[in-house]
Amino acid sequence: MGHTYDNPINVSFRSLRLFRPRKSDWLLESAFLEETMLRKLAFGLLASASALLAAASYAAQAPSELKIGTLYATSGPFASTSMQQYDGVKFWVDEMNARGGVYVKPYHKKVPIRLIAYDDQSNTATAATLYDQLITQDKVNILISDSTSVLTSVAVPIARNHKMLLIDVTGGGTPFFSKDNPYIVLTAIPVTSLWPKYIVDFLATDGAKLGIRSVAMLYDTNDFTGTEAQAVRNSLKALRSPLKLVYDHGVPTQTSSYTVIINNIRATHPDAVIEFGFPNNDIAYLRALQENGVTFNWQFANFLGIDPVPIKKAVGVQGLKDLYSYVPPSLLAHNPNFGLTLAQYQTAWDHKYANDKVPFGHASVGGYMTGLVLQKALARTQSMEQLALRKAIFSLSGKLRTLDGAFSLNAEGAQVGELLPLGQIRLTANNGMKFAVVYPHAIATGKAIYPAK
Amino acid sequence: MLEYALLGGLLYGLYYGLVGLGLNLVFGVMRIVNLAHGDFLMLGAFGTIWLYGLLHLSPLGTIFIALAVFVALGVPLYYLLVPRLLRAKDPEMLSLLLFFGLSQVIEAIATIVFGPSEQSIPGRALGAGPIHILGQGFPAAWVVSAATSVVAVLAVYVYLYRTRLGYLTRAVMVHREEALASGIDVNRVSAIAFGVGLALAAIAGVFAPFMLGGVTPTMGVELIVQAFVVIVIGSLGNPLGTVLGGIVYGVSLMFMQTYFSSWADLLPYVLLIVILLARPSGLLGRQVRSA
Repeated sequence: MGHTYDNPINVSFRSLRLFRPRKSDWLLESAFLEETMLRKLAFGLLASASALLAAASYAAQAPSELKIGTLYATSGPFASTSMQQYDGVKFWVDEMNARGGVYVKPYHKKVPIRLIAYDDQSNTATAATLYDQLITQDKVNILISDSTSVLTSVAVPIARNHKMLLIDVTGGGTPFFSKDNPYIVLTAIPVTSLWPKYIVDFLATDGAKLGIRSVAMLYDTNDFTGTEAQAVRNSLKALRSPLKLVYDHGVPTQTSSYTVIINNIRATHPDAVIEFGFPNNDIAYLRALQENGVTFNWQFANFLGIDPVPIKKAVGVQGLKDLYSYVPPSLLAHNPNFGLTLAQYQTAWDHKYANDKVPFGHASVGGYMTGLVLQKALARTQSMEQLALRKAIFSLSGKLRTLDGAFSLNAEGAQVGELLPLGQIRLTANNGMKFAVVYPHAIATGKAIYPAK
Repeated sequence: MLEYALLGGLLYGLYYGLVGLGLNLVFGVMRIVNLAHGDFLMLGAFGTIWLYGLLHLSPLGTIFIALAVFVALGVPLYYLLVPRLLRAKDPEMLSLLLFFGLSQVIEAIATIVFGPSEQSIPGRALGAGPIHILGQGFPAAWVVSAATSVVAVLAVYVYLYRTRLGYLTRAVMVHREEALASGIDVNRVSAIAFGVGLALAAIAGVFAPFMLGGVTPTMGVELIVQAFVVIVIGSLGNPLGTVLGGIVYGVSLMFMQTYFSSWADLLPYVLLIVILLARPSGLLGRQVRSA
């Protein structure tokens, strides 16, 4: 996919280097220099003219629109995050188009963006067909995957087979990234294996001091949460932590009944419970805790920080008291060196999507931030070849800071920038809530309350 | 753990009996498969959430509103869709297609109206704290919904076996053409049964926010699979079989969650295959023929 455009100016200057003065006596050299200078001037003018003509010719070849293809899910278990991500991407696209398009260096001009998007209904089989359609039928210039590792997982092999760079926003599944696959880059979230780092670090250090000796872990058996669970096991092993994993079971992502599972967890008497699920699982699990009158001393819920609005609405703020979760960039202001700040973006989002039923969340930041990465990369890519685009995105690593935090890639294209701190819910006035960052200590805004009251 | 899983499965299974009851009634009377059954359940769930948010109306009160509204909705919907369907050569197969289309339309409209996110009602709306049965604590919502299921099954039995309308309905269930030949207003009887079927789905929907944690506009697709399994286990066309099917499903699910949690989503399909191979007419298959 994509077309190759050599830089005509570079070609012309390269040709000028052929006319170098030869070593000779000074008269001859002087005459030669005059002649050479004249020739240089003449050729320079010719070269400049040809460069301008070539540039004009190439600029004329610039497409009337830049096609960005993506998927979204209006329904199913991933709809909530998917629609946030899609609205975030659309926010950036609309912003660019309002300015006349996005600047694309190989064309030396701004090109309007056409966002081509289809509804995969949270179904991986449907998503696979639609990813293929975006590449082969719509012939998009840039491919952005749908949210989550589950809906990204099917895009990875398809993009690779078509030699199409997959702009992966929130699919942090560790197996997606390997040295032999240059056709993927993760933009908005850390690779999944890094997500639980601060959970384990906290439990192994602060938790041990608080008296936490045993941990129960419940996870969904999908790419994302399965990887999180594996990362916890690996980290505990690597740290040689005395923490005992007394319950370690997976459940299908569609699970909606947790009463018996909670009873089984309770039977193992854990000091801390980690629940890795999607929003639907978090809601059902937290409600079951509440309705069974069960409170664990230390309880982590996966999406509570990432997608707090529907969870708070469905569970009720009292059911969230003292719970732990990740504190994503949608709740933690960073100082960007490019794009809007979190406060500016959230205000603009609320204004733009005032009548929309999609709440602001972590994926909203991810979608917009991915647009910012593309904006920077398109302004510096040498061509619209997929690997050139990848190179341009990699050149931003370690330099770009957005409202999402530091943008940093490892060699495989996985995001290793801003890790997600561990936060604990504090209830505020008028049924409100906020997160206190409890780990890492460098950015902590509060101390862990243990046991939960 | 074993005792808890068994009791929990019983309560949860009774709820699934209610989920499948309306689907089975419609199939028993009309021999059509209402694939939009789960979507009517979803509409009942969102109606409950809406009424609770607007008027703080107790979900138990919503049951009666759901009954009236969905019977009233079901009767004209029957006349709009079913008689034409029954005139076709293969109404059972065509019903799958027609109601699948209806299901898609309902889901799409519901997504536009309610949005894609999970919605629910606080658990305390059906009673605070767990209720203890044989020394084991269960959410109040589980106990209330199981009790409602029992009442609903009894009501369906009274309707079918203790009323003149039920007598006529059973006649249609046994042989539609003979019932028609004997002067029974088959369409009127069927329309009421269709409305009752939808109302039972909506009543199950009233409890869905509590039993399933949260509801979304697309929850119907998954529920229809589970409801179908429940009625196939019990036997198609038999209300008592539906309750038995629900209990088998519920207890099996809770045991799976306890001992093989990762594989729990395979359960409906495994049960379906086992029942179809071992006893295609369902556990109470004989009663269907003598209904």
